[in-house]
This record gives sequence, C-alpha cells and structure tokens, in this order.
Amino acid sequence: MMVKKVLHSLTLNGEEVQVATAAGATLLQTLREDLRILSSKRGCNQGVCGACTVLVDGTPVRACLTLTARCEGHAVQTMEGMDGDRVMATLQRHMVQSGGVQCGFCTGGVLISARDLLEADPTPSREAVKTALSGNICRCTGYRTIVDAVCGAAEELSQ
Amino acid sequence: MTEVLSPLTVDDAIALLVEHDEAMPLAGGATLIAMRNASLVEPSHLVSLDRIAELRGIDRTADGTIRIGAMTRHCDTAACAELTGSLHVLRRAAGMIANRVVRNMGTMGGAVANADPAADYLPALACCDATLEIAGPEGRRSLSIHDYVDDWYETALGEGEIITAIMLPAPVEAPSAYRKIARVSGDYATASCAMALDPDGQGLRVAIGACGPGPLRDRAGEDALRGKLHDPAALAEFAGRLVALADPVDDVRGSAEYRLRLIPRLVASVLSELAPQKETA
Repeated sequence: MMVKKVLHSLTLNGEEVQVATAAGATLLQTLREDLRILSSKRGCNQGVCGACTVLVDGTPVRACLTLTARCEGHAVQTMEGMDGDRVMATLQRHMVQSGGVQCGFCTGGVLISARDLLEADPTPSREAVKTALSGNICRCTGYRTIVDAVCGAAEELSQ
Repeated sequence: MTEVLSPLTVDDAIALLVEHDEAMPLAGGATLIAMRNASLVEPSHLVSLDRIAELRGIDRTADGTIRIGAMTRHCDTAACAELTGSLHVLRRAAGMIANRVVRNMGTMGGAVANADPAADYLPALACCDATLEIAGPEGRRSLSIHDYVDDWYETALGEGEIITAIMLPAPVEAPSAYRKIARVSGDYATASCAMALDPDGQGLRVAIGACGPGPLRDRAGEDALRGKLHDPAALAEFAGRLVALADPVDDVRGSAEYRLRLIPRLVASVLSELAPQKETA
C-alpha cells in the first residue's frame, strides 16, 4: 500500500525543520523513522511506559500519543537537543555515578521527566522524586539507583 | 492511515464529523491515540479539537458558575485555584489521574466523552452536580451529569456531538475530597469515592466510581442521612443503599465482591477525613 505522506513544519531542538511523514503519524514515528531521532524509544506505544517522553513547547508529553500534525508550528525538544543544559548534564552525570543506567531503554524518558521535576521543584523529597517518575517504567527495575541519581543531582544543583 | 483535520471553530468540527462517516473527534489523545496504536479503532479522519479557542480555559461567570472548557488539561484542572471548597474534589481527582506527563496531555472533555467507568472525573463531577455543554448537528444543549452515562461506555452523546464545556455550580465553603483505591499510583480505580459536605456540616453528597457503568449517587439516601452523619447505624444504612445500587465487574483491578466491600469503607474513611468525629470525654 502506498503510504500517503504529509509535510509538516516544526521546530526540532531549536532548528526549523520540514518533514514529510505518514498521514496521522505519531510524533514518535516521525522522530524515529523520518528524522532519525532515536533517543525517544518505542516501548509500549500506549503512553504507559514513558520511554518516548519528549518536550513540546517545554512541557513533557508522550511522543507515542502526540500526533505530528499537532506539532505544526510548535517546538519539540529531545535528548539530542539538551547539550549545554546544566540541569540535564548534572542529572546524566549522577545517573552514571549511581548506576542508574542498566539496559538504558528507559533512561531518556526518565531524564526528561526528572529534569521537568527539578525545574518545578529544585529540592524535591525522595517521595516527590518517586511520584514524579511514577510514569517512567524501568523493566530492569533499577529504581533505587535512579531515584538516588535524581536526589544527588538535586542536591548538587541547589548548592 | 488517518487524516488529521484541525478546524478552528466548533461548527466546523461538527461539520467535519458529519461529513466523514469514520471520523472521530480528538481531544488530548491520551486514550484515543493509544487505542488507535493498538488498532482498537481505525478512524479515517481525526478531527483535532486543539485549535478551537472556545474549548479552552477555565472561567468564572457573573453568577459564580465555573465553566471548564472541554480541552482543559488535567494538569490545569489540578492547579486551578478557582476550584475551592465544594469543588476541591475535582482538583483532587484531576491530580490523581495517571502521572505527571499524561496529565499534561489528557483533557476533561476527552475523559468525560470516553466515560471509562473506572476513571476519576465522572464521580467527582457527579458529586459536584455538574452540567455538560454539548454541541452537535442539531445545535447546542445542556445535560446534567446524572443523565449522561447510559450503560458501560455508552453515553447520551449522539452522532457528531462533542462536549464543549463542563459547568460547575459556584463553589461554597464546605470541605470536599476524592479518594481512590488503585493497585499502583496512577492506575485506574478499583473503586473511588467523591464526597462533599453541606456548608452546615449536617449532610453530604457522595458519588462512587468504578462500581457500575456510571458513578453511583443516591440522593434520597443522602437526604435521609442529613443530621445523622455520625450515627453509625444511619451511615451503615446509607452505605448499604450505595452497595445495593452498585453493579461492579470482576476485572484485573479487583473482583466485584471486593469492590462491594470497598464502598462502605471508602465512605466511612472519606467522611472521617472531612468531618472528624469529636472525641467524647
């Protein structure tokens, strides 16, 4: 079957892009298949696992539940566009130090959710970190070290 | 293959829904896109409601009534300072839906239209005596939340109709709360309870979720309980009436029997939060 493609304009990691993508495509499909942005992972494709989480206009959303057509004229940001972000760099360093990365599949989504939490609440309790990450599933079940990393990053950033 | 259409007005959205047989209205996408990804629905067109200004925002009208635009996201409802007192229950329910990221996507209109019996808004709205504003090919109408759910996932919404807003009576100074029993944080409810006290503290309004096709409300039972909130026999009788109204199912979140046992416990526990019984010396 011929796949009908539609042209969309959006801002991706600070750059204007035009992308031809399948009609009705999700942002996850467009990112991975048309734009080769691979940090956003397809886990459940149901909005449950959190591995596809990206920012649209600065707000974390599920890329698998977002239609690319809805991103027309909006700003999409993924892990690839986080270079130079101090909060993200600190979170990444703590994830490595605490062993928060096992298979790595959930890591991008975890980091986007964690960064959003620290922007809203720079000194979260351990409980608040767990609640904020409740929509990001780690099937290696390495939750303790992930929470350690976010708490460690928060502590360092608030000094 | 789904074509996405983005009308700018409610009238245009309805015209598109009427024009295309297999079209579906798209609110936040948190449920509908997940269903499409799983091939449970295969709409020819998705009529996206996100560019329609009329569907956005929470406003207080001149008489104090609160109007919540159908496209208001759960995160905005959960943070809305207008929802005080008797309407606080709706804020609490919004803040317990799924998780932080999904609350940035899902909308009240979408959740109400989907009418999942285990979702959080319907019992909270039934407790608030909300009214739905609906637009369709035959024009506009208002419908009480109590007349909305017909059966499991079946509602009074007709072909081509969409919810445009949810109207709430002006808040009064009286405590209200929402509690749900769920397997894990953010899951749909096994059973839930929305409750608001009367301003004089003598009576209450209660709606139970996830124990039937729609929220359970027993207004005659509420009247009978007035003035007897701390009478254990009267409270037990009231909870028994709610249990008798319930029609729960066995599913992965719990058995029907378990759900029936939760109802009296939920009612008693939310009541003790809202109206703690004074210790007798």
